[in-house]
Amino acid sequence: MTSTLIETSIYAAISESIQAEAKRILSDGQVSTIVGYAAARRKGSAQPIVITDASDAQKLIFTPACVNNLAVYLTKAKKDIPKKGKIGIVVKGCDMKALTGLMGESQLKREELYLIGVPCAGVLASTFAPSQELTDESLAPKCTECDAHLPTGCDFVPTETPLTPELEKKYAVEIARLEALTPAERWAYWKEQFAKCIKCYACRQVCPFCFCEQCLCDRNKPQMVETTPRPAGNTAWHIVRAMHLAGRCAGCAECERVCPMDIPLNLLNRKMAKELKELYDHEAGFEVTEKGPLTMFNEKDDQSFIK
Amino acid sequence: MHLAQQQHTFEPKIFAFVCTWCTYAGADLAGTSRMQYPSNVRVLKFPCTGRIDPVFILKAFQQGADGVLVSGCHPGDCHYIAGNFHARRRFAVFRKLLEFVGVDLNRLQFSWVSAAEGGKWVEVVTDLTEKVRNMGPMTEFKELAMEEQWSGAINTPELKEAYNAI
Ligand code: SF4
Ligand code: SF4
Ligand code: SF4
Repeated sequence: MTSTLIETSIYAAISESIQAEAKRILSDGQVSTIVGYAAARRKGSAQPIVITDASDAQKLIFTPACVNNLAVYLTKAKKDIPKKGKIGIVVKGCDMKALTGLMGESQLKREELYLIGVPCAGVLASTFAPSQELTDESLAPKCTECDAHLPTGCDFVPTETPLTPELEKKYAVEIARLEALTPAERWAYWKEQFAKCIKCYACRQVCPFCFCEQCLCDRNKPQMVETTPRPAGNTAWHIVRAMHLAGRCAGCAECERVCPMDIPLNLLNRKMAKELKELYDHEAGFEVTEKGPLTMFNEKDDQSFIK
Repeated sequence: MHLAQQQHTFEPKIFAFVCTWCTYAGADLAGTSRMQYPSNVRVLKFPCTGRIDPVFILKAFQQGADGVLVSGCHPGDCHYIAGNFHARRRFAVFRKLLEFVGVDLNRLQFSWVSAAEGGKWVEVVTDLTEKVRNMGPMTEFKELAMEEQWSGAINTPELKEAYNAI
């Protein structure tokens, strides 16, 4: 099968615009800090960077290896960013959804942020080397279903427009496949997946919405979820995780990217998003709302499943 | 009148999470009215259906429940005004999640039973018990609890070789 190349030539021009804008806002004191991406040591790779000096602005880049959702650095779970003045942050469309959600949950204030949006055609899947060229195969699965190539509500967005071919929606296809199975077959599938989990909690640490000071899954009085990496506790952890993120998850797929055991975490997230769309016509991340779908109700909500 | 005692080969364990204001009172009414219903049900009383965390259902299955019932006040009757409306959404979504990971939803029943509906309580409990009895024991979660960590199984040739070399 031949693969289609994803056009990323605009990323160079985008990097330049980001650098110029970063330099401008840092030198005129509009922001104290900028969180963005910089080249890392391995060829073609990128890593998050926090800059506070205008002379560092030229370090900022945007490439298909800029996979991280930087929104997580702004949550109270992370203390990497000095909290003074306005903070600038480089965001892709999916990262923007996370920020929108965090604003709705009163974790961030819009007026304390300066958002540099990135017109994004896609980034690399975690299973490909960072120097790999971007094709429909090496593309991160989330990008095949992206509906936010151009982030909205930012303070600055480079003018380039990404070319985004219509691709097979990887999660939707997989969800449909699983839905067509019998419960026993689905159980067997997830049992195998969950059994791989080593409870490293990387998925939790990287998620912008897992900012609880004490996670339910760490509590031992009473212990709701067994903490050892055994099948029973793993299954409970994954179900609780998916439930706590239902209606909030931005679909950045960071959890799935960081999982060392290749568990398809975002598949559960996308399934929940699909159900919330069908049940309550809710889609996370598009507007700042005070309440999420599971913290509000409508008296006419469906109750056909209740006797 | 004494009902003939029926003998069954399998007696399912049913956990019922109920709110104290409606369903618990309804079950009480069934009792004081001397209505008969299967003794398979273990009732756990909560202040409100809004207090019933989905993780309790999970825990119940892990601890050996063959079926779970969640029951509270009818919409509009909640003692705390909106607890059951919140619960309704939460459980609608939680059901979908359980279904997706492969739990048979026939083992999970939700109902509204008011303090005056002793008869409905009997009906709901009897139906669920019979349904679950026909389905047989819930083994999935119990098996998980018996199983060991993935790394306990040396299931690839590479791993076996490395292990034998130690
Ligand atoms: S999901 Fe959209 S915005 Fe996010 S990395 Fe993929 S293409 Fe870019
Ligand atoms: S659950 Fe995963 S995809 Fe959703 S916001 Fe958290 S890290 Fe992103
Ligand atoms: S990152 Fe993967 S292995 Fe680690 S706790 Fe999460 S699901 Fe389990």
